[in-house]
Amino acid sequence: MRHYSLRIFFALMAPTLAWAAPNPRLALPEFSALAQKATESVTITLDAALLAMAGRFMNGNDPQDAATKEILKGLQGIYVRSYTFDKDAAYQQSDIDAVRNQLSAPGWNRLVETRSRKSQANVDIYIMVANNQATGLALIASEPRQFTIVNIVGAIDLDKLHKLEGQFGVPKLDIDAHKAPTPSIKK
Amino acid sequence: MNEDLESRLRAVLRPVAPREEFTQHLIARVTADKRKETNARGIRRPKATAWWLSASMAASLLIAAGVQHYLQERRETERGLEARREVIEALRMTSQKLNLAFEAIKGQSSSPADDKPGV
Repeated sequence: MRHYSLRIFFALMAPTLAWAAPNPRLALPEFSALAQKATESVTITLDAALLAMAGRFMNGNDPQDAATKEILKGLQGIYVRSYTFDKDAAYQQSDIDAVRNQLSAPGWNRLVETRSRKSQANVDIYIMVANNQATGLALIASEPRQFTIVNIVGAIDLDKLHKLEGQFGVPKLDIDAHKAPTPSIKK
Repeated sequence: MNEDLESRLRAVLRPVAPREEFTQHLIARVTADKRKETNARGIRRPKATAWWLSASMAASLLIAAGVQHYLQERRETERGLEARREVIEALRMTSQKLNLAFEAIKGQSSSPADDKPGV
């Protein structure tokens, strides 16, 4: 009887628990003001349905397509915002703060933070981990004339991302050596 | 003599009832002629037109369905190819930025003063 009551309790609480669970999808702003100033802007919004559709158009015999298809398997969404400007300091850091603030929410862990004085490029990589599995990735790259935000939602297999090395120019990131202290990433 | 001739003529030219076969044959022939005539007037034409109309409508529907299917397939293909292009572009950009981070990490290991990665 008690077991039965617990079941009902969890069934009733499920929507609340789901809502309370950290969401790996970021609410990306429109950046319409920046888009007007930018010389080049890239907006990519791919939900699960579009990713599945894209997967159907990947050629399994092509190594690049095969690798991409493998990566897409566990993904639920890819969202990219990138703006390129023709002069330095065309955007403020505050423009990105709305996104950065979301990454301070529980569930997100900063994997890499780089500040390059030489190229004046700052790259922050965040990862969301649930049950020892990466469920979301966020990347914020700010350069003097460009800023890019990437949000990948879903079971990201970092091994598969490694496999893209040399195909999209993905570097062999030594993730084990630079792993964030808190999450343990299933590879 | 004259009377004799006349009576003989009368006898020859007397009205004779036609045979039963002849009557039936004649009736059948008249009926067939009437049918031919009505056909020629076009009493059956509406039926032929209806058939032709139905056939052409069915053909049009089939063609429309085919065209619709083809256009839908084409739209799906276009959307799929566009999604594929976007996926590749998104992964290319991601990899480019990961490369940037990697270069910074590499730079830090070679000259610590230059870059400042925090991991």
